[in-house]
Amino acid sequence: MDKQFNFEQIGKRMPYNVPDGFFDRLEQNVMAEVKADNCKSAQLKPKVQKAHTVKIAIRTILAAAAAVALFFVVTMNMSNDTSPTEDSFTNVELAYNNLSTEDQEFLLEVYEEDEFINDSNEEDYEEDI
Amino acid sequence: MYKEKYLLCENNSIMAGDKGIIVAIRENPERGFRLLMASYKEPVYWHIRRLVVSHADAQDVAQETFVRIFRNFHQYNEENSFKAWIFRIATNEALRLLGKLKNSAMLSLDEVTADMLGTKTDEHFDNSDAITMKLQQAILHLPTKQQLAFSLRYYDEMSYEEIAEVAGSTAASMKVNYNIAKEKIIAYMNNND
Repeated sequence: MDKQFNFEQIGKRMPYNVPDGFFDRLEQNVMAEVKADNCKSAQLKPKVQKAHTVKIAIRTILAAAAAVALFFVVTMNMSNDTSPTEDSFTNVELAYNNLSTEDQEFLLEVYEEDEFINDSNEEDYEEDI
Repeated sequence: MYKEKYLLCENNSIMAGDKGIIVAIRENPERGFRLLMASYKEPVYWHIRRLVVSHADAQDVAQETFVRIFRNFHQYNEENSFKAWIFRIATNEALRLLGKLKNSAMLSLDEVTADMLGTKTDEHFDNSDAITMKLQQAILHLPTKQQLAFSLRYYDEMSYEEIAEVAGSTAASMKVNYNIAKEKIIAYMNNND
């Protein structure tokens, strides 16, 4: 009669083995790589966060400066209702000239990008339609 | 000494559990990953070893597997089994290595694995245990899906749902694969005395 194979004869035994202390070394090697990964990301994080914070601060300052400048321009226009349009433009120019280069650039950027106050954009929009 | 530590690790892993490991990794990645290693380094290594056979290859694949698990932990979906996710990464890494061997030897994947015990033996094999050598040979002769189904069920005691997640298949299909694998192994063990 054939002797039938039974899994219970072997159980989970395997013909494989590992060197002494292998699993401890495996863990050490992996943890060393993981730590190196952590260090890299930790070194990157503050730089990224710092750069992001500086960007936000610059934008906030520029926005505040632009808002102040616009307030002065509007106030000057309102206080001199009888003055001709040419005077208004002169006032705007004067106020604009008093701004720092950065604020001037920011205002220009806002003006150029604004679809509602920029004629050329409006034309483009009409052409698109 | 090693045995004691292993038992201690086993106890730690039981206390932590997969959910505990996940929470620990989110709170403190390094500490959490130590818990993961304590629970999974041995089962993952042996799973890989059964697939790639050689200790040196299994060591490389296991190391790469754990580094990948750490780097891709944010991609783990808690709706799925954590154990199955870990074993899926390990399986993919092992199959990637076997794929490289297949390409270099111009053989099919099944031919590569079937020949493993003939070509990959080194000092980390117990040649004196003939019956266990023969069982591994029988497993290595199976197609990859049947190998996975048998190995994950028999050695790692996974549910068919978990095995399906590892193999990217359905539980029903993996159950069929397991039963076919078992029959083939019994036939191999009985016919090749």
